[in-house]
Amino acid sequence: MIPVRSYVRILSKYLRPLRGRVILLSVVALAAIGLQLAGPQLIRGFLDGATSGRPTSELIPLAVWFIAIAVLQQAAKVWATYLSVDVGWSATNDLRADLAEHVLHLDMGFHKTHTPGALIERIDGDVTSLSNFFSSFTIQVIGNLILIVGILVLLWVENVLVGLGVTVFVVLIFSAMVKVQTIAVPRWKAVRARSAELMGFIGEQLGGTEDIKANGGDRFMIARFTKILRLWLPEQVRGRHGFSMLWAMGITAYITGLTVVFWLGSLLFGDGTMTLGSVYLVFHYVQMSQDPMEHIRSQMEDFQKAGAGIARVEDLLARSSAVRDEGNTLLPDGALDVTFDSVTFSYNDEEDDLGRPVLDSLEFKLPAGRVLGVLGRSGSGKSTLARLLTRLYDPQEGAIRLDGTALIDVPVEDLRHRVAMVTQDVQLFGASIRDNLTFFNHSVDDARLLEVIEELGLTPWLETLDAGLDSRLEASGSGLSAGQAQLLAFTRIFLRDPGLVILDEASSRLDPATEELIERAVGRLLKNRTGIIIAHRLATIERADDILILEDGHIVEAGDRIGLANDPDSRLSHLLTTGLEEVLA
Amino acid sequence: MSERDAPTARLMAGAIKSEPWRYGANVVIWASIWLMPVIPALIVRAFFDSLELETGANAITFVAAILAYGLGRLAVMVTGMHNDVHFEFRNASQLRRNMLERIYEMPAAQAVQGSPGEMISRFREDVDHTQETISWTVDMVGATLFATVAVWILAGIDAGLTVAVFAPLVIIVVVAERLGGRIKRYRQDAQEATGRITEAVGEMFGAVQSIKVAGAEHSMVGNLRGLNDRRRRAMVRDKVLTAGLESVFWNTVSVGTGLILLIGASSLAADNGLTIGEFALFVYFLGFVTDAGYFVGIFIARFKQATVSYTRMVKLLRGGPAMRLVEKVDLELTGPEPQVPVAPRRASDRLERLEVRGLSYQYPRSDNGISDVDLTLERGSFTVVTGRIGAGKTTLLRAMLGLVSTDEGEILWNGAVIDDPAQWMVPPHAAYTPQVPSLFSMSLRDNLRLGRDDTDEEIHTAIMSAALERDLADMPDGLDTMVGPRGMRLSGGQVQRTAAARMLLRRPELLVFDDLSSALDVETEQTLWRRLLEEQKGATALVVSHRQPALQRADQVIMMEGGRIVAQGTYAELLETSAAFTTLWAGNGA
Repeated sequence: MIPVRSYVRILSKYLRPLRGRVILLSVVALAAIGLQLAGPQLIRGFLDGATSGRPTSELIPLAVWFIAIAVLQQAAKVWATYLSVDVGWSATNDLRADLAEHVLHLDMGFHKTHTPGALIERIDGDVTSLSNFFSSFTIQVIGNLILIVGILVLLWVENVLVGLGVTVFVVLIFSAMVKVQTIAVPRWKAVRARSAELMGFIGEQLGGTEDIKANGGDRFMIARFTKILRLWLPEQVRGRHGFSMLWAMGITAYITGLTVVFWLGSLLFGDGTMTLGSVYLVFHYVQMSQDPMEHIRSQMEDFQKAGAGIARVEDLLARSSAVRDEGNTLLPDGALDVTFDSVTFSYNDEEDDLGRPVLDSLEFKLPAGRVLGVLGRSGSGKSTLARLLTRLYDPQEGAIRLDGTALIDVPVEDLRHRVAMVTQDVQLFGASIRDNLTFFNHSVDDARLLEVIEELGLTPWLETLDAGLDSRLEASGSGLSAGQAQLLAFTRIFLRDPGLVILDEASSRLDPATEELIERAVGRLLKNRTGIIIAHRLATIERADDILILEDGHIVEAGDRIGLANDPDSRLSHLLTTGLEEVLA
Repeated sequence: MSERDAPTARLMAGAIKSEPWRYGANVVIWASIWLMPVIPALIVRAFFDSLELETGANAITFVAAILAYGLGRLAVMVTGMHNDVHFEFRNASQLRRNMLERIYEMPAAQAVQGSPGEMISRFREDVDHTQETISWTVDMVGATLFATVAVWILAGIDAGLTVAVFAPLVIIVVVAERLGGRIKRYRQDAQEATGRITEAVGEMFGAVQSIKVAGAEHSMVGNLRGLNDRRRRAMVRDKVLTAGLESVFWNTVSVGTGLILLIGASSLAADNGLTIGEFALFVYFLGFVTDAGYFVGIFIARFKQATVSYTRMVKLLRGGPAMRLVEKVDLELTGPEPQVPVAPRRASDRLERLEVRGLSYQYPRSDNGISDVDLTLERGSFTVVTGRIGAGKTTLLRAMLGLVSTDEGEILWNGAVIDDPAQWMVPPHAAYTPQVPSLFSMSLRDNLRLGRDDTDEEIHTAIMSAALERDLADMPDGLDTMVGPRGMRLSGGQVQRTAAARMLLRRPELLVFDDLSSALDVETEQTLWRRLLEEQKGATALVVSHRQPALQRADQVIMMEGGRIVAQGTYAELLETSAAFTTLWAGNGA
């Protein structure tokens, strides 16, 4: 397969809006080529003039013209470079952004199996090789191809035999190059895939230094690093040999070209068809065609990289999310009621279904405005419940309904606007507090932000920061206590107006004093909204109206909290007894 | 503080010293590759001379000569490529390996600064840039050699013309040198812009769940578009400057050719002057010599760019000597698979008493830290550290484990001062479960063993102690199940208990848990403490927690506030004596 078709397919979409600049680029590049072709004609005139004894005064202007044309040609070339780089980056920037958005929309199953490090390589690395490719492709490959065609045309005009000879050689060399390239691209693909693996490995190392060091795992990690290298080296060697083959094509082209010149030159000069100047012209043009060939050849590496890159970009673009966004029923305002209608879900649906369902025929109803406390051991399916409600995953069987509408009938955007979730790990960005709260949405004004911050009791903290909302946070959350991070996550939710709020273990890693502040915020958050609190701690569910206890994906107990607490045989009261020490403290 | 540039030349020399034979071979082969075009140049001159002077030489002779040359060149090139890929790979791998080793050497909690994306670009782009520059030194040698030979041949034909034509080449080197600083700055801008994008993309996908749940995909990408645009501008500046520079060089060829025509006009016209063959040779060499000159200029500029990359990598070493980057290391690319040595447990490793005296550590640019902490752990005791967020609990554990380099104080193992806690406080002496543990993309078994040779039976015992057995039963491939970022998803509690099992498998003298139970339900937590205390007999435990199951089992509770110990005793004692403790716990539960 020749990947040029893929390039065109992907790039043409992004080049269309840049049409004007692409046209200008073509004009400037063509002008440069025309000037380049004119040079040797002047030399021929000069040499023939010199050998036939014309006066030096007639030769000098030719030499001066030659210099002037050369300077102009270079100026045009720089301009063309500017245009090609600018267009190339503009187009691929759009591609990169679209690709990032596409990948963001892919389901969590995808994200659980692709590290951020590997995605950096695929979204930035691959697309960048594509943009390098574009700028060099337009100037080096297309421009040089046109130059070669121009040379051939001029040679045909000069002498049919010469034209034919050089054309045959160019065609042969080119088809060979294409052939060689199809051998080389898969090799590069393997090299880059391994590089992504290595970078993914290193990314994990950087995130886990404490775990590794304090458990004596550093030598082991070095051994794993070595193992990846050992797999990578033979692939690099094979990839480089693919590249050698391409260079060998260039050498062959050069040698063949000279052979053609020697043979035709002595033949046609011998029988008087060509002047010495004309033989030199042929030689010069054949020489001149070497450079473009070398350039195209040297771009082959970019070409190969981009070829490998584009295959993976296409692969990524072709993936579709397991969570389909095809609904068009909007959710009503206000608190939402929740119905689980025989919901069965398992994570391993793609594999041979070894895993038992995480949720098995789950059935319950939560009326609007009430707060449900969900209890269960870790792994009982509590967190999964929340992930299904926000459609991070879809159940295999059954349906979840909000106010009677099945989740899959609601546009995902609307759903996520109306259903809010706070998890234990607050994910932050290395950006200002403002951008962290609004997810870089600049349409949220500061007054509204400050109002929400005030409401959550974060104003005193904000006042300790020099730059206020512009203060920079770290992605690692350093400099921020877990409680503050939690409150920031609440702020994110307050900025919307959800009808259902899910708190997944939201208050588990906090000291009791900070927890108080959080509890107050939770109170405000749940006011006039339906709430689901998933917790390991009894204290967290004090505010629940109803209780649901999960075990291995089944409901083992459900009902009114007070009622269950007062029933000595209920699991809840058993739990309250076991955990009593905690409650009494 | 101004940043000092890395000693690029010394670093490059150091890298070369690690692979002297391959580098030497590279010099010889690539110098030949540069020099070889002299041969076809002479053949071409002979050809034109044979036409003009009608020497009667046969076209077949020229064709045969050029074909022989072609075969030779192919052979040399393929050998050169093969040698070069091995050289480059080893050098690049050595850089990466040394950076990784250095990261493991440093106090682990301080080893990595900056975002993961930015750090990865040290390992990716910066390594590639510097490697390329080293490879190019070989071409520098070749280019210089070629230029010398060419000028020597041409001077033999017409010394005056040679000087007139090649003098402008000096301009090339000067221009490249002059613009080098600017290229460096532009390139740095472009790299920084790239760093910011990798950082943003990395963070974006690290936080993908939050983004999805907030429905913020579009605005997040909006931010990326802004960063993209900044990079585009930086890239355009960088590339246009480079193209402009290149253009200056090419103009030198064209203008040079024009000069040959101008100056040589009378000589070419004269019967005994310059022949067309010699003219062809001049033009031919002019091209190659300019290539060489251009190369020298570009190399100088590239060398400056390599300095940018080296400087960033040296910064990653955080105080380690710059030459550490290129230290010779056995990469073990051939031979048997590398084995991980397991240190045997000696009688002297046994912990009787661990004492901490006057331990202090302040995080840079922050008020957080610990100061003047004294603490004693007796063999077999269970110590719980408690206190508010930011009280210094985690910092205390990190300081004791050598995960941060402490400012003051000492740690004594059976009465003897530990010189280097980072080296000592590892298995079999101590092991650690952080608050938010990391697992790695490999099998559960490998994650637990981390290179040790424990049997599955031992692993199962550790899994039981960590109350992970029910979770294991649910894993599709048992111990072979892939976990970590690219493996099966585990809940926060599962990750914590897996990390606990990892720690327990090492049977360390001192077990250190940072808030192990935070993602566990009450029943699981109780099971865990019960099993732990029953089955890891003799082990000493140091635990951060503020939950009852742990506090009530504790032999001593350490209450921290503002980085200092404010109360110490059993749970019951503290409830009676410490107002701070009572206040803290009054807010909990009822």
